[in-house]
Amino acid sequence: MPELFMRMMKEEWRIHSTMFGQISFALFPVMIFGIVFMGSFLLPLLQSAIPASNLALITHAMFLVLGVMVGGFGLMGNEMMNRRFGQASLLAYSARSLPLSERFIFLNFVVKDTVYYFFLWVLPFGAGYIAASPFTGVPLAQSLLLLLTLALAFMAGLCTIFLLSALYVRSRHACGILVLALGAGLLALAFTTGTNPAFYFPPLLLYCGFSWGLLLVSCVVLAIMFLLSILIFSPDHAGTTRRYADLFAPLLKNFPSLPHPPLVAKDFVDLYRSGIGVGQALFSFLIPLVVIWFFLSLLGSYLPPHGLLFLFAMITGVIASTMYTWVTEFDAFGPYACLPVAVSTLIRSKITTFSLLQVVPAIFIGLAAIISGEPAYILPAVVLCVSISFYAAGVMSYLCGLSPSVLVYDVKVLFTYLVLDGVVCAIFSAVSFANPFYALSSVVLLIPGWLSVKAAMKRWDAVDPAGL
Amino acid sequence: MAQVLEVRDLSKVYGDVTAVDHVTLSVDEGALFGLLGPNGSGKTTMIKVLTGQIRPTGGSARVLGLDVEHEGLRVRERVGIIPEQESPPSFLTAMEYLEFVGAVRKIPDIKERAERWFDLLEFGDKKHVLCKDLSRGTRQKLMFAQAFIHEPVLALIDEPLINFDPIMQDVVKEYLTDYARSGRTIFLSTHILEVAEEICSSFAILHRGRLLHSGPVGDLTAHGVHLPEFFLSLVRKDSHA
Repeated sequence: MPELFMRMMKEEWRIHSTMFGQISFALFPVMIFGIVFMGSFLLPLLQSAIPASNLALITHAMFLVLGVMVGGFGLMGNEMMNRRFGQASLLAYSARSLPLSERFIFLNFVVKDTVYYFFLWVLPFGAGYIAASPFTGVPLAQSLLLLLTLALAFMAGLCTIFLLSALYVRSRHACGILVLALGAGLLALAFTTGTNPAFYFPPLLLYCGFSWGLLLVSCVVLAIMFLLSILIFSPDHAGTTRRYADLFAPLLKNFPSLPHPPLVAKDFVDLYRSGIGVGQALFSFLIPLVVIWFFLSLLGSYLPPHGLLFLFAMITGVIASTMYTWVTEFDAFGPYACLPVAVSTLIRSKITTFSLLQVVPAIFIGLAAIISGEPAYILPAVVLCVSISFYAAGVMSYLCGLSPSVLVYDVKVLFTYLVLDGVVCAIFSAVSFANPFYALSSVVLLIPGWLSVKAAMKRWDAVDPAGL
Repeated sequence: MAQVLEVRDLSKVYGDVTAVDHVTLSVDEGALFGLLGPNGSGKTTMIKVLTGQIRPTGGSARVLGLDVEHEGLRVRERVGIIPEQESPPSFLTAMEYLEFVGAVRKIPDIKERAERWFDLLEFGDKKHVLCKDLSRGTRQKLMFAQAFIHEPVLALIDEPLINFDPIMQDVVKEYLTDYARSGRTIFLSTHILEVAEEICSSFAILHRGRLLHSGPVGDLTAHGVHLPEFFLSLVRKDSHA
C-alpha cells in the first residue's frame, strides 16, 4: 500500500508540476492561503451583513462541492492525461498489469485523492484562517475546528461522488433512484420540519456545536460511504463488440446552418455515448446547484427582495460555463491533427456546442424562478445566467484553450479567471439587486465573451497543440 | 521530375532536446520514399512538421508548394496522414469516423468510399463498433482508410504496418506500391528495414535528428548492398562518432 500510494502521490504532483512548472504549481496552495488570510480581515465587515454562522455554512458548502468536483475529475484522470500528454496512462490504470487487485488500486487512488487535495486546498484554506485568527480575534480553537469540519465537508463530497460513480458503473438505474431518493428525503425533511436540510449537514452541526459523539458519527458515516464505494467498485472492461446505430449522419443533417457541423455533431455523439452528458449534468451541474440552493436559501433574509434568485442565477451561470469543459473533456487535438482542422476551428466548434447546451441552465433557472414563486423574473434571471455563462466560458477558452480541466490548476490562470469573473459577478449582483429587470443589461457580456473567444482562437493557433 | 516535398535546413527543438537537426532533403513526385531511423531519431517529428501539426524551430519546408509553417491547414487539406500513435475518436463507430472525415474533407460519396475500404482491409464486421473498442490492428486499418479515402496526391504515413498481421501487411504493401505507380507520392516513416527495401524507391536515414544519407534504393542494390546492412553500419558508425 505505501509504495503504490507514494508513487501515486508523486505522479499527481508531477502531472501538475509538468504542466505549470514546479514553482507555479507550488504557489497554488500559497495563493489559497494568502487569499483566505487577507479575506479573514474582511470578516467583521461581512458579519455586519451576514452572521458568521451563515458564512460558515457557505464555506462548508463550497468544500462539499469542491470534494464532488475533485472526485469527478480524479475518475477521469486517465482521459485528462491522454488529452494533455498524448499516449499516457495513470498508475491507477497501468498498475492493472501488476499482481494487484483492482479494488486495492482503487483504494490507493481514493486515499491519494483525499490526502493530496487536502494539502492542496483544505489545509491552505484552514491555515490562512488560523494564521489570521490572532489579528481577527477568532479563537484559535474555533479556527482549528473549522479546519477539521472543512476537511470533513470536503471528504463528504469526495466520498459521495466515489460512491455514486461506483454505483453508476454498476447500475445507472440504482444510482438515479438513490439520487432521487436523497433529493426526495431532503425535500420531505424541509417540508415536515420547516427547516433547511443544510442545517443537518454533519460537518456544519459539528462546527456549530462540537461534540465527540457527533465527530464519531461523522467519521463513521464517511467510512461507510468510503467502504461501500470500494466494495461496489467495478473496473471498466474495454473490448466490447457491441454494435451501435449510426447517430453521426442523422445529427449532421440537423446542424446544417451551424459553424462546423461535423465537429458539433461529433461532440453530441461523444456526450451521449460517453455518458459524460448525463454524468456531468448530474454530478457537475444539478447536484452542486441543488446543494448551493439549499445553502444560499439561508441567506434569503440578508439579501434584497428577489436577490436570492438572481444570486443563484449568477452562480448557475458560472457553473454552466464549465459545460465548456464537458465538450473538451474527451477531445485531444491528436485525432484532428491528421485532418484539415485548426485549433481555432475546434475552439469555435466547442463554443457552438457549448451554446446549444445552454438550454439546460436556461430551463433550470426558469424552473427555479417558478418554484421560488417569482415567475415574473424568469426572463431577466435566464438572461443573467446565460450571459454570465457565455462570458465565463469565453474567458475560460482564452485562458485554457482546449484544456480547461487541467489548466485551471495553473495559479496564474485560476487567479485571472477568478478576478475576471468575480468583477463581473459583483457588478451584476449590484445591478440586479437594484432592480431585477436591470439584469437584462447583462446581455452586454456577450460582447466581451465573444471577443475572448476570438482572442482565444488567435492565441491557441499560435502555439503547438498540447499532446502532440 | 517535380518535387512534392522540399526541406531546407529544417530543425525542431523541444526544450533542450533537438529532435530534428538541420535536415535538408527532397522527394520527387511519384516516389515511394522511406524515412528510416532508429527509435527517437526524429522521424515522427519530421512528419508532424511536414504536415503543419507543429512548427519548425528553424529552416523551412514546402509540401506540394505550400509553406508548412504558414499554410499547414492547406497542406492537411491536400495530403493524407497516418499518425504514429493517435487513435480515432473513442465514441464514434468506425463507419461514423469515416463519415466524420468525409464531412470535414467534404467528400460527397463518403459511404461508398468507406464501404470499399472496409472491403479492402477486411474489417466490415467492425464498422458499427465504437473506435475505443476496436483492437489496435483494426484501429490502424481505420487510420489507414481515413488517410487515403480522399485519394491524396501525397500521403505521409508513420509506421503504417506495425500493428498489421502478415496477411494485412502484404495487402497494404501492394496498395502502397500501386499508389505510387499511379503517379502519387508516399512519404513513409518506418524502422522496419526489410519493408523499406522491398517497396521504397528512395530513402533517407535519420539518426539523432541528423540526416546521415539520402538517395535511391536502386543505387544500393546495384552495388549488391542490402538496405538493412547499410543502415546498421551507418547508424553504428554515427553512434560511435
